[in-house]
Amino acid sequence: MKTLNNAMTSTPQRLFSVASAAAMWSFSLLRSRLGRAGLAALAAALLWSPGAQGQRTTDLRLNELMVINSANYEDDFGERSAWIEIFNTSYGTVNIGGCYLSDDLNNLKKYPIPKGDVLTSIKPRQHVIFWADNKPTHGTFHLNFTIDDTRFLVLTSSDGHTIIDSLTYPEQAADVSYGRSEDGVGEWHFCERTTPSTNNTLVQLEAASDRFKNYDPLGIAMTITAMSVVFLALISLFLIFKYVGKTALWVIALRGRRIIPKGSPAQVTVSVEKQQPSPGAVFAAIACALRRYELEMSELESNILTINKVAKAYSPWNSKIYTLREIPRKK
Amino acid sequence: MDINSLFGFLGENLSQFFSYTAFSHMTIGHIIMMTIGLIFLYLAIRHEFEPMLLIPIGFGILIGNIPFMPGLRIGIYEEGSVLNILYFGVVQGVYPPLIFLGIGAMTDFSALISNPKLMLIGAAAQLGIFGAYMASLGLGFMPSEAAAIGIIGGADGPTAIFLSSRLAPHLMGAVAISAYSYMALVPVLQPPVMKLLTSRRERLIRMRPPRAVSHLEKVMFPIIGLLLTCLIVPSGLPLLGMLFFGNLLKESGVTRRLAETARGPLIDIVTILIGLTVGASTQATTFLTFDSVRIFLLGAASFVVATFGGVMFVKIFNLFLKEGNKINPLIGNAGVSAVPDSARVSQVVGLQYDKTNHLLMHAMGPNVAGVIGSAVAAGILLGFLS
Repeated sequence: MKTLNNAMTSTPQRLFSVASAAAMWSFSLLRSRLGRAGLAALAAALLWSPGAQGQRTTDLRLNELMVINSANYEDDFGERSAWIEIFNTSYGTVNIGGCYLSDDLNNLKKYPIPKGDVLTSIKPRQHVIFWADNKPTHGTFHLNFTIDDTRFLVLTSSDGHTIIDSLTYPEQAADVSYGRSEDGVGEWHFCERTTPSTNNTLVQLEAASDRFKNYDPLGIAMTITAMSVVFLALISLFLIFKYVGKTALWVIALRGRRIIPKGSPAQVTVSVEKQQPSPGAVFAAIACALRRYELEMSELESNILTINKVAKAYSPWNSKIYTLREIPRKK
Repeated sequence: MDINSLFGFLGENLSQFFSYTAFSHMTIGHIIMMTIGLIFLYLAIRHEFEPMLLIPIGFGILIGNIPFMPGLRIGIYEEGSVLNILYFGVVQGVYPPLIFLGIGAMTDFSALISNPKLMLIGAAAQLGIFGAYMASLGLGFMPSEAAAIGIIGGADGPTAIFLSSRLAPHLMGAVAISAYSYMALVPVLQPPVMKLLTSRRERLIRMRPPRAVSHLEKVMFPIIGLLLTCLIVPSGLPLLGMLFFGNLLKESGVTRRLAETARGPLIDIVTILIGLTVGASTQATTFLTFDSVRIFLLGAASFVVATFGGVMFVKIFNLFLKEGNKINPLIGNAGVSAVPDSARVSQVVGLQYDKTNHLLMHAMGPNVAGVIGSAVAAGILLGFLS
């Protein structure tokens, strides 16, 4: 039985070592083919996914801008000037404070966005507007430059050199904004409607509940779909464990045959194990025997106390420092 | 001192004091709800119907229905009150995944692994959820509300709270109370349906004893289970992720302390908090509506349909199984995830017809599959309707 247990416990270890060896081989192959830089790029690509992004400033995007604002959106001072909209593409709040905005590639730190302003926190999938009016005294969202002539805009991370997003834009017309077709991801184009601080594409999204109410008023489609998915999930589990069970039994039997010499008492144990399923009475008898064994173990102690000589010369137990009371001293 | 002014002052004080007592705000609704709370406590203490759930919920109903002057920050719906802070875990869906962690750490999936075809019963019993969903739509509920009501048929309190908090928070109290009430009433609701749908010959079917399950299989189950179910239904991740994680803590054999905490102190604490706050959320002013009555009726219907689905599936499945491999349809009811009550019902009803035919171990297979099935169903509903 002990041999059988060893065989069972070593199976996962063997699987693990085989998997580790395969992983190491794959890694060395990729490294030889792609090189270190290629491997890093591949790792970055594998780690990136839309759903896996954290709440980072790298999730921010330049989203819309208006260069010539003569009869459009006004700031809090009632003045019209060029504006830049930045969009938070993530599903977490991102603080833009500490980042930089600039219209000059050689001076990325032209306008440091102040830290410590609660308004620089951009809620998930929300926007913020900066005024390019060269009036930084008007507040956090008023830049210290204008964007009349450079046709370039760059948003830089707080480290001052990592470019988060940049844009080279064409000549602009008055009161026409230039923005992405879809918030954060779409192509840049001249917008039909100016949409500062709101979505570039105003799609009237029908609530999921309303959609189901309209298209599936009786719930039949939902029932068929959902029951199919539930069955699919559990049938997959069923199929896997049907064969996992068979494989596990086969592996155990195989290991038992390899390790245990023919005719030995353990061989007999293995042959019993192979007669699956065992009747419930066998398990009950084993459980009773184990229980009785445990009870006897607790009652019959050996009552033998072993004292070994400690090799170490020093021990807290023989130190006089801990056993003597400190002599009172006059201060 | 003028004696009249003294009495006037005292009278004014007493009148003001009375306005602060619960009596001056008491309505017939509060009395009805308190009576329901007392019935829950009676059922739990006298008849031991799910005492771990009904005592916190029943006492919570009493707490939630003691009327008070608004604005003192004591009610569960008053921002900043202690109860409101504890209720946060329900509203934001924090408690249900923690309960699933504990359930995973205390569940032995051996019965399921040894006879994996029983998993399909756990899928079939989810018919109760979608039966109630269709019935709710027929009664005029919106699809998101119908889904929150339908999940009662999964017979899984934490899942019901989790889904209703996301899809229809205004119905959460009624859904949770209904789900837990019917889970406690499984021994009353299920046997008549089981007996009605099965013949005497079917009830006497003896199933093959389950085989021994290796440690490797037990360790692989939560890992494969998580990957498979959550790759298909990622929206079920909060519940299924925690369920399988808890099970891995148990089965890995190297995290005994963590497993013991998850299935012991952690789940106990969360059960107390969830039970008490869900009970307290049933303030008469927000809870006693016609919708609550309809939800209770739909909840009962969903349990009946779920039992019907499980039993009928076994009967149909048996047509394709060889003699000796057949399944006793009395374990079909256990496909709902009221663990282990519905499995216990299978055992009790089975013993009524054959004193030596023990179905408990067999019924535990579909029972734990029901937990997975209802979490998957909740994930699907959440994915479609949120």
